[in-house]
Amino acid sequence: MSVDRGKLVFVLPGLIVLVAIILFPLLFTIRVSLSSWDVAQPGLDWIGVTNYLRLAEDTRFWESFGRLALMALGSVALQYLLGFGLALLVWRDMRAGRFFRVLFLIPMMTTPVIMAVIWRTVFHESLGPANDVLRLLGMASLPWLSQAGLAMTSVIIVEVWQWTPFMFLMLLAGLLSLPREPFLAAAIDGAGPIRTFLRVTFPMIAPISIGAIIIRLIEASKIMDTVYVITSGGPGTATETSSYYIFIRGLRDFQIGYAASLSFTYLVIMAISLTIIAKVLARAMIVKDRAA
Amino acid sequence: MSLVSTELTRSVDGVAHLDGISCVLERGRFYVIVGPTLSGKTSLLHAFAGLDAPDTGRITLDGADLAAVPVWSRSVSMVYQQFINYPHLSVYENIAFPLRRRRLAQAELDSRVRAIAETVGLTSLLARLPGALSGGQQQRVALARSLVKGSDLLLLDEPLVNLDYKLREQLREEFLNIFSAQNRSILVYTTADPNEALLFDAEVLVMHEGRLLQVGSAQSVYARPATTAVARIFSDPPMNLVPGSIDAAGLRLANDVLLPRPRHLDALPPGPYVFGIHPGDVALAASGIASEVELAEISGSETFLHVRHADMRLVAHLSGVYAYALGENVEIVLEGAKLFAFGIDGGLAAAPESGG
Amino acid sequence: MSALYRALKYAAILLWSAFVIAPFLWALTTSFKTANGITGGPTYIPWLQYEPSLEGWRLLFRSGGGGIAIGGPYLSSLVVTISASLISLVLGTLAAYGLSRFTYRAGFVRNADITFFFISQRIMPPVVLAIPFFLMLQFLGLLDTEVGLIIVYIALLMPIAVWVMVDFFNTVPRELDESAMLDGCSPFEAFWRVILPNSKPGLVVAGLFCLIFGWNDFFFAFTLTFTQTQLLPVAIVALNSSVTPWWSLSAAALVSVAPLVVVAFVLESYLSRGNLAGAVR
Repeated sequence: MSVDRGKLVFVLPGLIVLVAIILFPLLFTIRVSLSSWDVAQPGLDWIGVTNYLRLAEDTRFWESFGRLALMALGSVALQYLLGFGLALLVWRDMRAGRFFRVLFLIPMMTTPVIMAVIWRTVFHESLGPANDVLRLLGMASLPWLSQAGLAMTSVIIVEVWQWTPFMFLMLLAGLLSLPREPFLAAAIDGAGPIRTFLRVTFPMIAPISIGAIIIRLIEASKIMDTVYVITSGGPGTATETSSYYIFIRGLRDFQIGYAASLSFTYLVIMAISLTIIAKVLARAMIVKDRAA
Repeated sequence: MSLVSTELTRSVDGVAHLDGISCVLERGRFYVIVGPTLSGKTSLLHAFAGLDAPDTGRITLDGADLAAVPVWSRSVSMVYQQFINYPHLSVYENIAFPLRRRRLAQAELDSRVRAIAETVGLTSLLARLPGALSGGQQQRVALARSLVKGSDLLLLDEPLVNLDYKLREQLREEFLNIFSAQNRSILVYTTADPNEALLFDAEVLVMHEGRLLQVGSAQSVYARPATTAVARIFSDPPMNLVPGSIDAAGLRLANDVLLPRPRHLDALPPGPYVFGIHPGDVALAASGIASEVELAEISGSETFLHVRHADMRLVAHLSGVYAYALGENVEIVLEGAKLFAFGIDGGLAAAPESGG
Repeated sequence: MSALYRALKYAAILLWSAFVIAPFLWALTTSFKTANGITGGPTYIPWLQYEPSLEGWRLLFRSGGGGIAIGGPYLSSLVVTISASLISLVLGTLAAYGLSRFTYRAGFVRNADITFFFISQRIMPPVVLAIPFFLMLQFLGLLDTEVGLIIVYIALLMPIAVWVMVDFFNTVPRELDESAMLDGCSPFEAFWRVILPNSKPGLVVAGLFCLIFGWNDFFFAFTLTFTQTQLLPVAIVALNSSVTPWWSLSAAALVSVAPLVVVAFVLESYLSRGNLAGAVR
């Protein structure tokens, strides 16, 4: 049937573009990881798995995963809690809230790098308002950007500011799409607000919660711009995430072969971790639902 | 002109939607396909329209094989049950849409659109968007759009099922008027409701699980269903079927109740049979088969009484409202002359004389 | 709902709103400062705590000396983002329609797999793609050009368009396409004349998402352009040095973020109209 010819026309251009532009880099990365391409010796030679052996002992690389996990999980958890909280506060009376809804949306739309540039001035230890506010509250100034733990905190604060709106948006849309009947039933059964939330609201919105968390985890793990501007991975390597380390090796030191092996390993680990997290979350939320 | 289908089959994910369908549809005639949901009615229409190609089999129109003809080149129209119209176009433009592809002169196009709109009762609504119309009006637009082309094949897939009862009656009448006024096309209408087929009094095709069970006039299918399956499908509520036997003494129902053998069943040899009777022919009497009420469904001014006698379960369709309680005892009478007899293979052995 | 609860609720909303606005207000007030207003410690209120000046804003039109001739980068960002978004939208919508309507089967690869392939590209961190892209553009002689960047952006933005539009098309009944074909349209005509005109909400959201993600990219612009082509985020970050001019930096930041606020208004009205029960998933 001639519908068949028609079908290909639609998908083909997009598929060609994507295969050429995404599949090629991936295959290229794998091939390059098996070479010793760097500034001194540019070009594709073959050194087998030497790069992978090197990275197996590269503690800086493995530690970066720990930092990445802390940063991603920490900021996404906060984003979820705050975003969900805000959505719960706002979803019942939507009419009044247009101004606030637009306002809440704005951070998500802004250019992360540019906001990071501003936040950097905010966290400036002597000239920035962050410490000024602390002094006003009677607390001591904090070395926001020069102490390991605080540097991580600063980055997380910026991430939370930037991306909580995403959670807010997704969960608000989800809440608004829920059917009313279970809530009416709960009200008739005399359930208070907390019980209604635990037994009705939360389980019903579980799929959307999972989806939002997974999406944010994927995006959070790629964090680059913010770290680059605010801490440059520092102090030392305190905020150096995996992709930042790959950036240093690949685009600063130009050890392209080694960076490629780091990239490929990183992709495999990320794909596996995210799949596991997705499955665990799905099971956790569904078990909770059944228990309810 | 005739549409001939030969051994059409189509399976999706291992389930047979069409299982060897062969039929001949003639120009100018009105056909109603009756069958429960998932019987393959929609799949058959899709095959006729060219939307889904059958896995095997042929469809020819006037001898020409349609397999090579893509949907957009066929002379087919379809009306769906979900009120499908182009939301971004006015009613006028909706109706004009099929004609615009043909590059007609504006005047000609205009007159044809208006003529159809008149036939279907939409003249005052031509400027509106479908979204601003009621369900019934939207279906009229869909119908108008399907008529304006004057296609060889006009398919309607349960078009009235999403409308309320009164509107359904009204539109059914209008459909009949419109359909009987034209004799160029083949009209195929599907429904899950056998009463609708009887109301249309059309040529009926009974489908079940992808197979064509019987073809004939609505009256004849009702009076002489070829198999127990047809008997159950082409009756709402379904025909009561009770296994039993015929022996020297008469009819035994469920090996329990003994009835005298009615005349029209005289010629049948003794042996096991499945007896059938329409719910409308099951009556209450002062004395008869002692039965217990299992359920009393009151629907409008009628009652469907589900009764049970030992292993035998029957549904009686009574006019009037009878609010029997669960477990109450009633006496059931089965009119002998209205009994159907089917062999244990399901085939019709004998049917009542005067059309059931 | 008790009064206490309501008070707490409004307090929470106000608190969060303050947190959201804070950096913008800080940038705004800082943009009117000069070195004096900064070196003494953080100041907030003009005239009371510091002497306001338009120097920061004037520097947006000069280069050198803390200035950032913002016109050029602004234009580059516009050209690159809009071009890439339009092309991504076109290609992505076509692919999404195909994925929504037709069944593709190539060996064991099916529709769901192809859609996943399109969308899973988002998992790739920019740094992994940067080197191959760098070498590819170098090979094509398109490094440091707007065209090169547009090509790269198309690869990044198309999955977004596909994601939004597939969800959207899945909510449009297939019978509409069928009707169009029965009325004489080929599959492409059905798409063009019937489905597309009814897809405005989906297209707007997909288009806006593409514009936002494109405008906000820093990393690829940073890695793939140097002197001849400079996009806005790169130009602004370049101001960071040992003596960062906070005033022009803040002014530039505000100016580049301003269009996004407008986009936020538009997007919000579409999203809360519930046009995308499916697309926001």
